[in-house]
Amino acid sequence: MNGVLLALVTVLPIAIGAAVAAFAMKQISTSAIDGMTRQPEIAPQLFTAMLIGMALVEALCIYTLVVTLVMANNLG
Amino acid sequence: MTGLAITSEAIVVMTGALVASGVLIGLGFWFSRIVLSVDEPSKRQSAGEFVLAFFVNKAREIAHGENRQRIIETVAPLLATFFLFIFVCNLIGVLPIPVFNRPPTSHFSVTLSLAMCSVIGTLLAAAAFKGPLATLKHLVWPNPMQWVSEVTDVMSLSLRLFGNIAGEFMTVTLVMQVVPYGIPLILHALGLIPAFVQALVFTLLTSSFIADALHEQKRRPKRTKAGQPVDAMPSTTHAEGGFAQ
Repeated sequence: MNGVLLALVTVLPIAIGAAVAAFAMKQISTSAIDGMTRQPEIAPQLFTAMLIGMALVEALCIYTLVVTLVMANNLG
Repeated sequence: MTGLAITSEAIVVMTGALVASGVLIGLGFWFSRIVLSVDEPSKRQSAGEFVLAFFVNKAREIAHGENRQRIIETVAPLLATFFLFIFVCNLIGVLPIPVFNRPPTSHFSVTLSLAMCSVIGTLLAAAAFKGPLATLKHLVWPNPMQWVSEVTDVMSLSLRLFGNIAGEFMTVTLVMQVVPYGIPLILHALGLIPAFVQALVFTLLTSSFIADALHEQKRRPKRTKAGQPVDAMPSTTHAEGGFAQ
């Protein structure tokens, strides 16, 4: 029972969080690459904006990871 | 996330941070002894100028107004310090030393202190270039809860760096217990990418915080001069504050 509970509160959230963040990152990188191929001269600025956007998305996934780690520590 | 006790973990982390600082200070001395030349720059000079030019250009992008030169001279070393220190700290994980190859940035206290340095440094820079009162006013105006964004900035900066580096470190450690040879090498090679990108992201976010903190004062007088209604200002500044997170 404890194992199932552990899986539910730790593994499932990080899986969902990673999947959603991956989807958002795919959107960001696709748009950035689209822009870069259309206008290679502003590629450095787009790259910077892409990195910042990805970092903001990734932060949400990291929050999930931290909550997961805390839950795992508390449970066992 | 332990308390103030000096644990063995803390000793490993502190040693790593000291080693990183030592490496950087040594490199600094080594680079400072170059004979500079315009016609025939040495390899060391070219490498140093490449790194320096990157941060000076970053600082140049965010600096505007009459004391632009001073802003560049203040911000560029700050950004360079953050980037180089975090990058070298992240690289400590690939050293082939048994216990001490833990990156200091995989400990939450290190990333938290780095993030606090970043946000407090941003506030200090804003106080120096905009005036302390304007900076304090920026914390509670136009949105009285504006100061919360500084706290969440600290949390997001520190948790991002910590999560990435600690996650990578944990993965390598776990894989190393299963397959001690070969595979960890590939993981270490792949780990160089987040090591670089996270250092860059921390630096870029710091520079965008500083840009946000410095720019507000420049835009306001421009809008009032253009004759726009005063009521329009809070909504625009609020939108900028929202983007800063």
